[in-house]
Amino acid sequence: MKNGRAVVVAGVGLTRFDSYDGQKGRPKKEYYDLGSEAILKALDEAGMTWKEIQAAFCGSVYCGTASGHQTISNIGMTGIPIVNVENACSSGSSAFRLAYQMVAAEIYDVVLAAGFESMPRGFIRSTAWPEWQRFMGFNVQPAAYAMAAVRYMEETGATVEDFARVSVKNRRHGALNPNARFQKPVTLDEVFSSRMIAQPLRLLHACPLADGGAAVILCSKDKLKSKSKMVTVAASVLTSGTYGHVYGGGSVKIKTPDTITISAEQAWEMSGYGPEDMDVVQAYDTMAPGELWDLEKMGLCKKGEAPRLLREGFFDLGGKLPVNTDGGLLSRGHPLGATSLAQIIEIYRQIRGEAGPRQVPGAKIGLAHAMGAGPNSAVVILKR
Amino acid sequence: MNDTKRWIPVREGLWSDPSADGGEAQLIGSHCLTCGELFFPRQDSGLCSYCQSKDLEDIRLSSKGKIYSYTVVMQRPPVYYKAEVPYAIGFVELPEGIRVETLFTGCDLEKLHVGMDVEMVIEKLHEDDEGNEIVAYKFRPVTS
Ligand SMILES: [Zn+2]
Repeated sequence: MKNGRAVVVAGVGLTRFDSYDGQKGRPKKEYYDLGSEAILKALDEAGMTWKEIQAAFCGSVYCGTASGHQTISNIGMTGIPIVNVENACSSGSSAFRLAYQMVAAEIYDVVLAAGFESMPRGFIRSTAWPEWQRFMGFNVQPAAYAMAAVRYMEETGATVEDFARVSVKNRRHGALNPNARFQKPVTLDEVFSSRMIAQPLRLLHACPLADGGAAVILCSKDKLKSKSKMVTVAASVLTSGTYGHVYGGGSVKIKTPDTITISAEQAWEMSGYGPEDMDVVQAYDTMAPGELWDLEKMGLCKKGEAPRLLREGFFDLGGKLPVNTDGGLLSRGHPLGATSLAQIIEIYRQIRGEAGPRQVPGAKIGLAHAMGAGPNSAVVILKR
Repeated sequence: MNDTKRWIPVREGLWSDPSADGGEAQLIGSHCLTCGELFFPRQDSGLCSYCQSKDLEDIRLSSKGKIYSYTVVMQRPPVYYKAEVPYAIGFVELPEGIRVETLFTGCDLEKLHVGMDVEMVIEKLHEDDEGNEIVAYKFRPVTS
């Protein structure tokens, strides 16, 4: 992969992630309302007008055909190319990567990456499993995580309490994030008394669904309105389905390196940084234990070491490497198309010193990692 | 026994049919003669997805293995699965080095553990709207 010219972040926008279903006094907002709200905020921060945007990539999963067009028509159609990106939970960072590449390759100078979702309620219905496997009850996302968690416990000695500690840490961080769906901390006891979903994982090990919108405007340096606190994209990679790690597709014998490991290695190579250079990390915590093996597979700590480091406060705000400083998916909630852009936006806020009460002092370089069904693994590194 | 009631496999070709093929019911996989890769289920594409060779043969997989991982699902998945909840699913590692995803049966859900010896059985999954029994492979603890 070639790096191309430098790409910088002009501005970002985020709505609060919440339930916008119009029930019980909550406002009714559709994905296009949330998406356009985020885009307008990003334009405002960038000091740009809508007509300066030369192309748009829009991530969503459940919004139907041409959802980016619907969202952008709220603001104004200008004839720019709009491309809709469905890449499961990594749709937002996949849109980000396309926008990044367009600027890096000097095809356009100012490009929008947006993500939005109005989530269906209840279990997320996935077509990632063949029909016969759905008849056999395999099509349960938390169960896939639960089976991976059982293996992780077997191989590393991690305990269910370690998984609960991830929830407790991230909910504590989320309490400092006014955009999070859940802003109330939880205790270990509350995690353990929540409903069992798929043994050994309980409701409070799982991220809540949410609706929301997120937007990032990327540009070449010469198009920036202000160069103060300039944030550069140091890496944006996407690894889809390394051999032998495709869930829902049956079983094979040959094993190859994990998708997460491959994508992290590509990000280190592209950025010239290594795990030791990261000041702040947004890891993928759709289910609590996932954060632990995510950090290990990216090389941010050794295999089997994450539970001990977590217990020692290493990943806390104030720790050596704060992880999921905005509360992660566990607090923020999970509007599929917007999630991975929200992770990137948190890194942007942190390295600009704009994260308020959850600021990591002196943060200059940060990483955001998102997984998606398929699988997809997307890593973005931003630097000051 | 109601003679009009039929047994219908949840999917054709997952296991061998003793009434047609003789012997025991066994899971059927594909073996790549070029690179040695194994697949379950059989590669209906006729293509090895590791080396892209078309030189595949059907093989019958071992009916005994060990639990590699498992979970007990506590809530009903959407639409398709119609049997009882909670239910246990997991991966069974076969001696051939392949891990097959499966339902577990004939066991105390609380006693499942990694490394447990299990064997394959063909068993009812649910009845369809016409009263036919939809059957599937499952694994159960080895009792002997
Ligand atoms: Zn082959």
